[in-house]
Amino acid sequence: MLRGLSWRHFDFWLLGAVVLAIAFGVAMIDSAVAGNVEIADYPSRQAIFAGIGLVVIFGIAAIDYNYWSVLYRPIYGVMMLLLFFLFLSARAVFGAARWFRVGVIFVQPTELAKIVVILILARYFEQTQDEPRDLRWIISSLLWTMGLAIWILLQPNLSNVIVIMVIWISMLWLNGLQIKHLLTFGVSGLILLVVGFPFLQDYQRQRVITFLFPDPTARHGATYNVRQALIAIGSGGLLGKGYGHGSQVQLRFLKVRHTDFIFSAISEEFGLIGALLVIAVLVFIIARCMRAARMARDTSGAMIAFGVGVLIFFQGAVNIGVNLNLIPVSGLPLPFISYGGSGLLSLMLGIGLVESVIMRHKALEF
Amino acid sequence: MSSTSLPRFRIQTWRMVTLYVAGALVFALLAFRLFNLQIFEGVNWLIRAEDNFTREISIPALRGIIYDRNGMVLARNIASYNVVITPAYLPDDAVDIQRIYRELSGIIDVPVNHGTVDDAKLVAACVPGPGIAQLVELGDSLAPYSPVKIKCDVDGESARIIRERAVAWPGVDIEIEPIRDYPTGSLTANVIGFLGPIPAARVEQYEALGFKAGRDKVGYAGVEASMQDILAGQNGRRVIEVDVAGKELRNLEPPIPPVPGDNIRLTLDTRLQLAAEGALLGEIESWNAYFGRIRISSGVVIAMNPKTGEILAMVSYPTYENNRLARFIPAYYYQQLSEDPRHPLLNNAISSEYPPGSVFKLSTATGALNEGVVTIDQTIYAPGQLILTEKFSPNDPGRERPFVDWIFDQNPAGFGQIDFLHCIAYSSNVCFYKLGGGYKDEIPQGLGILRLREYARALGYDEPSGIELPGEADGLIPSPKWKRINQGENWSTGDTYIASVGQGYVLATPLQVLMSGATIANDGKLMQPTILREVINDEGHVVRFFQPAMKWDITTTQLIQNYECEGGYCSEAEGKKTVSPFVVQSVQEGMRLAVTDPRGTLNKVFSGFPIAVAGKTGTAEYCDDVALSQNRCQYGQWPTHSWTLAYAPYDDPEIIVMAFCYNGGEGASVAGPIVAKVVEAYFEIKAIDIAEGVGGGG
Repeated sequence: MLRGLSWRHFDFWLLGAVVLAIAFGVAMIDSAVAGNVEIADYPSRQAIFAGIGLVVIFGIAAIDYNYWSVLYRPIYGVMMLLLFFLFLSARAVFGAARWFRVGVIFVQPTELAKIVVILILARYFEQTQDEPRDLRWIISSLLWTMGLAIWILLQPNLSNVIVIMVIWISMLWLNGLQIKHLLTFGVSGLILLVVGFPFLQDYQRQRVITFLFPDPTARHGATYNVRQALIAIGSGGLLGKGYGHGSQVQLRFLKVRHTDFIFSAISEEFGLIGALLVIAVLVFIIARCMRAARMARDTSGAMIAFGVGVLIFFQGAVNIGVNLNLIPVSGLPLPFISYGGSGLLSLMLGIGLVESVIMRHKALEF
Repeated sequence: MSSTSLPRFRIQTWRMVTLYVAGALVFALLAFRLFNLQIFEGVNWLIRAEDNFTREISIPALRGIIYDRNGMVLARNIASYNVVITPAYLPDDAVDIQRIYRELSGIIDVPVNHGTVDDAKLVAACVPGPGIAQLVELGDSLAPYSPVKIKCDVDGESARIIRERAVAWPGVDIEIEPIRDYPTGSLTANVIGFLGPIPAARVEQYEALGFKAGRDKVGYAGVEASMQDILAGQNGRRVIEVDVAGKELRNLEPPIPPVPGDNIRLTLDTRLQLAAEGALLGEIESWNAYFGRIRISSGVVIAMNPKTGEILAMVSYPTYENNRLARFIPAYYYQQLSEDPRHPLLNNAISSEYPPGSVFKLSTATGALNEGVVTIDQTIYAPGQLILTEKFSPNDPGRERPFVDWIFDQNPAGFGQIDFLHCIAYSSNVCFYKLGGGYKDEIPQGLGILRLREYARALGYDEPSGIELPGEADGLIPSPKWKRINQGENWSTGDTYIASVGQGYVLATPLQVLMSGATIANDGKLMQPTILREVINDEGHVVRFFQPAMKWDITTTQLIQNYECEGGYCSEAEGKKTVSPFVVQSVQEGMRLAVTDPRGTLNKVFSGFPIAVAGKTGTAEYCDDVALSQNRCQYGQWPTHSWTLAYAPYDDPEIIVMAFCYNGGEGASVAGPIVAKVVEAYFEIKAIDIAEGVGGGG
């Protein structure tokens, strides 16, 4: 299958942007350690993951993405099993477990699941591109999606289910979802939200409540974290306090500053300019994914590139939104920049798929 | 390649564009919010970021030491040892922590585990109860880098052992806290006072001066309160950077070191204070034992140098133990003190007002002679009692009423014909009734209350003396106007008669009585009574030297308002006058005669005394709420306070002593011996100082 492989159309701009974002992320994680010995080796770990990720990108890019569509059954089955076991082990421990421990590395199957959902949906829309856009078409795609998402919902991990649902809806939209169906979904979704709120997990309800009605006296917890994030961002000003000189980061007033709130750390140390540059890099990466989607030779390729783009867009927007206290705390990482091996590798896997799509976009090349 | 691989389905462009627009809107919103936070609100957030890591620390200043005139320490700071644990510095291993707790518990007798963390939240620092683990856990959750007090005030030996072993116990330390210590304790408690926490109502005021509420203590009584500003010093200040755990990282501003308070040297002589207390307590106890009940419930002795105003001794009985209030003010002890009807927390020498009785005759005598009511050679008939007419207005026909002399019980005939000097020496009430209120043709025009008031005020009555002690009372010299306002009644002739002998509405603090005597003794010069001799800074340099201050000299300062008197009624006239030096000298002679004349009131008390003494006694009838409640205010049977005032040497006085015994009875027999003992002690101490080459008391 590697015969005749041409790297002519490999998107080095995309790769370059990804590498830039990751490198910046590693540097920022290094700053965010701030003397905390427990996370002292996180920058080097992240760098190692990034190295592995580069190999993954090239490896996946070399393989025609349509091979994965052929293998969709085993991929789907294995993924479901992984999520099911994670769900079981979560029950065995108490509360929520979001990772398997393999040696010193925590593997989060949920991150991989998001890529798998993109692949499965891409195959589905490829297969059904000639069928009418009726309810059956919608429900079937929903069932494919929920087959994986349900186990994530049961973890419980609502944020990632929302990510998956957003990917699903936007793919539906692009594939010709009828406006009347969209409205029906919108209204019923809203009803579900109101009726479903009491059934949310305590901590999730609490997050929403804390967001809507913050307790100004809280010393710790979500309100405290968000307020410290706002102080970090706001005090950064135009040019920031300089790398390694953010008081919120270095004196550890800012919590989870290497993952969920890394954007606040960036905003404090590099200011508005730095924060906007990070957003710009993300926008560039998303734009390159969309370019691949437009140029793809077939629907499945277009959907893969599009799905990865939506994933990066949504996670990024939600994460930054949380940092800016525009939406409740969610726990979604900032793509390519937040610390987290599974998340980073999954995203780089996604980038590998996008590269695979763009490399093969000239179907009529001789 | 075949055409089948061509896409059969094309993405509709408008659907893509919709998504682009949505995405662009989201990023625009984020960028806008970011811009808002960082550019428009940036300064506010920067202030909050600085608040996060900035902490102000107040460094306590050491309080000044209080010495007596000879350099004996009356108040100082001693170290108190607290065992503290800083949670953040404890070892990581739970087993090591438990080992430390167990070993420490063995030394300080605080259980390793007792109660829950919630219980520990309810107790203040230093209060025993919670176990070590609970205290540390609570502290760890609040501020891991702040030391938690595990046990306060451990003995020096335990502190030494713990400090040695703390090398192997990371996190455990001994904190040294300065505690006020009063080596002379209750002997000087009424003068020195005690410290207490900054009262809630004055927190703002003290914090503006750099004090820290909850830590710094301020004077509550005595010199500790009145000289708070001198003693307290100025707290230092550090502004430091801390991390989220409260760990100190660096100074943000150059630290301002604390300025220790100045030390003060009082005018007190502890030896004389001890003698005065001994004399007072000995007399009180012997009388109480004699009567088989608590007869004399409180008493005062004050000794002063009349030429300088320096208070050498000031004893107020009952008193309290200020060392018991040093670390904190125990509720039960304070309650016990404040509920005691004898008011041990009050310094009776300056804060309580009593009828002065016959010692007040010094004012009447000075006035009468100076105003020409009587001449020095005139003899006055002084029978055992006098029938006088009590009139409330000039046209009041009046009501006849007997006014009794103190001699009446022993000798109804009284003193017979006596001159002015013997009136003072014998303390004849009848004589002073006549001088004060006039009597027929013998004394056609008495001194009158308005003029008496002028002379009493000139001798130091009716206003606070201005001594550097808190809580001074005014005393009271009444006037007709005062009586109309406060009693709703006209001034009567009888009021004048009894005011002339220091009874009735006349009230004075013991210090005012002493001042009146001191003014006469010092040839009319009233010196400002003072307790403060020198202020010495922490390097030992005297920053304020002693400078005797004269309030006024009645022979040169125009103090006495002129009055024109007619038929026993006086009205204010132009101008003011002084007291003739001859008058002062005559009163001195009268006081001397009280000692030298065989029938003088102080003759027995000072018989055989090697140094020439002059003095005046007082037996003041009173009817206060205590006497009323005991149903003792029967006509002619009122209980009496005992007063005596004496100074020596007569021709060049250097000591004046005043003694007062509440419900003591006769002045000469109760207060008199106390004064004699203190005067004697003064000259003994002086002799010792001279022998040792110290050079006297000052």
